[in-house]
Amino acid sequence: MKKYDAIIVGTGAAGGIVGCVLAEAGKSVLLLERGRALSFSDVGRDHLRNQRLAIYGHNAGPELIGNPRVFVDPEGRSRVVKPHELDYHNNAACVGGGTRVYGAQAWRFHPDDFRMASKYGIPEGSSLADWPISYETLEPFYERAEWELGVAGNGHVIQHEIPRKRNYPLPPVPPSPHTIALQHGARHLGWGTTSVPLLINTEAYGGRASCIGCKYCVGFACPTDAKTGTQNTVIPRALATGTCELKTSAVAETIETDDRGNVIGVSYFVNSSVIPHRETARSRFVIVSAGAIESARLLLNSRSSFHPAGLGNEYNQVGRNLQGHLYPRAYGLSPARVFNGIGPGVTIATTQFNHDNPGIIGGGMLADDFIKPPIDFWYDSLPPDLPRWGIENKRFMRDNYTRVMHVRGPVQDIPNPDGRVTIDDTVRDKWGIPVARLSGTTHPATVEAAEFMRERGEQWLRASGCERVWSTQPGLILSGRQHQAGTCRMGGDAISSVTDEWGRVHNHNNLFVVDGSLHVTNGGFNPVLTIMALAFRSAEYIARLI
Amino acid sequence: MYSDTLPAVIDCLIPPDDFPGAYDAGVCDYIKQIFQTDLAEHAEFFRAGIDAIDSEALAIFNTPFALLSRGQQISTLEGIESGAVHTSWPISPARFFVMLVNVTAEGYYSDPQQGGNRGCASWVMTGFEDAVNS
Repeated sequence: MKKYDAIIVGTGAAGGIVGCVLAEAGKSVLLLERGRALSFSDVGRDHLRNQRLAIYGHNAGPELIGNPRVFVDPEGRSRVVKPHELDYHNNAACVGGGTRVYGAQAWRFHPDDFRMASKYGIPEGSSLADWPISYETLEPFYERAEWELGVAGNGHVIQHEIPRKRNYPLPPVPPSPHTIALQHGARHLGWGTTSVPLLINTEAYGGRASCIGCKYCVGFACPTDAKTGTQNTVIPRALATGTCELKTSAVAETIETDDRGNVIGVSYFVNSSVIPHRETARSRFVIVSAGAIESARLLLNSRSSFHPAGLGNEYNQVGRNLQGHLYPRAYGLSPARVFNGIGPGVTIATTQFNHDNPGIIGGGMLADDFIKPPIDFWYDSLPPDLPRWGIENKRFMRDNYTRVMHVRGPVQDIPNPDGRVTIDDTVRDKWGIPVARLSGTTHPATVEAAEFMRERGEQWLRASGCERVWSTQPGLILSGRQHQAGTCRMGGDAISSVTDEWGRVHNHNNLFVVDGSLHVTNGGFNPVLTIMALAFRSAEYIARLI
Repeated sequence: MYSDTLPAVIDCLIPPDDFPGAYDAGVCDYIKQIFQTDLAEHAEFFRAGIDAIDSEALAIFNTPFALLSRGQQISTLEGIESGAVHTSWPISPARFFVMLVNVTAEGYYSDPQQGGNRGCASWVMTGFEDAVNS
């Protein structure tokens, strides 16, 4: 049997980068991806079945049938959920993972995001902790991700960062009419603002074309391939080496161990249209990069007499601290039309409130929003006191779709160890693999921070000329979804963490987790650039070991 | 499929003005499609609700819903939305009404490939698309 240097499970933001770094270092690599490579037309432009609005389905996998999870609500009632339901906490299952259809905001975390426990103490009931590495340690890898994949932005005006060594390779997206209004509002309030860094080609870069300003960024694929994911950057680079093999429709079942408990490979099902079958591949190293929910599931499902609770789970830590972001959303009716029909739509942000808010642990970033298709707007953005039907509803849509300004942002999650992924042995997927069971909620301190940020969003819109302002605020729920993180956190010991600072699972030499699962905390920012930076850092380390 | 009641009902939810109402925008076609596909298991529920709207109209005004004045139609629907019904419903009126309003908006505002939003009428109305481009 062929023995690879490394098998990587998952081709999203992290797995694609690890595959590229290892392959370019001359290592033999097997990349396993449970989904398919999706073309632009595969992803499509269905307004009711996309990653942003998934009423009847979605467009980046997994298939609705045969891939259930179990969700336990805060009252303890459990039910089986399908991939397009909110409580499934789906990201995506395709080559590129979530980067195939994301909005592509490419933030560096705040230096204080790496030392939350030192800065704020540990609230009761929370597992808040410091990262084992600092911003300064990760900084060169942020820069590498920004330049190797291509981020557009203005690095001179990002107030939360310590001065960066190198600006972004691409200029920021141009302002929209609402940008100007929000700039005036922020200036009036004395708040700093910045352009939103995006993994989108504002000019041709990396052999790919420039953004054409279409209205379909988040939730869809890019018609000119200007939106940057791992599927159009590092994965093609990995394959070009000739030493990296990509298997799609390959669903990992277990990580294989030998009779002494050492990791030796991965077994997976191949969803072939001919004869679906099970295969096992051997390798010197295994890297799990399946996203915070599926990575935890794979470790927990890899049970043996040596590892009866699953790999890396001697101290019952795998799957805990599942977190994403609560997203307060504020809307304001502008006196003038602010919509110019040019995407992506997100242009301006403030990082004024990511930290040092009185009485609040953490905080978050606020930004304007991607263009919403009208049905998304109808479901998401209408004032709560507007009738849901009749001429008044229609007139609001007619008169105000182009006048509503949107402000929203991710709030730093204060982790709760009971927000977690476990295995449900009674429910299995189409391959017979026990599925992920999601339970618990975030910590109440997250809700307090989200409420504070919701008020800041309303304040910004009022200062920007909106007379009528409204907002929505999630309560004490489980966060996760597309920003899922935290389930295999890095740390110094096996009692309170799953891996070391490189993503190596404690008490294993050759088993790594590299994806958002490693995040000790998830910042008050979209997490993808941090996932990518960590992936470059871990991959360089693994390449030296092999 | 749903006789004359459904077109009259959805035109109350999204009435015609300078821009097409739900019926002229093709929302009936969307609703037929969605209850044959993704919502097939709710098709009987939905049909029962539409029939019950007609029964309400007959009970209150002794007239089929489609033949009521617009004001009578709206007051009938407001009663159903709030659960204040005059007949015995086989299903929850309020739950049915939420589904009715949602599928009508989906047909009107989503992409024309779904069967509704004929000629991208709602996208031109909202300004999502320029009239020239659609």
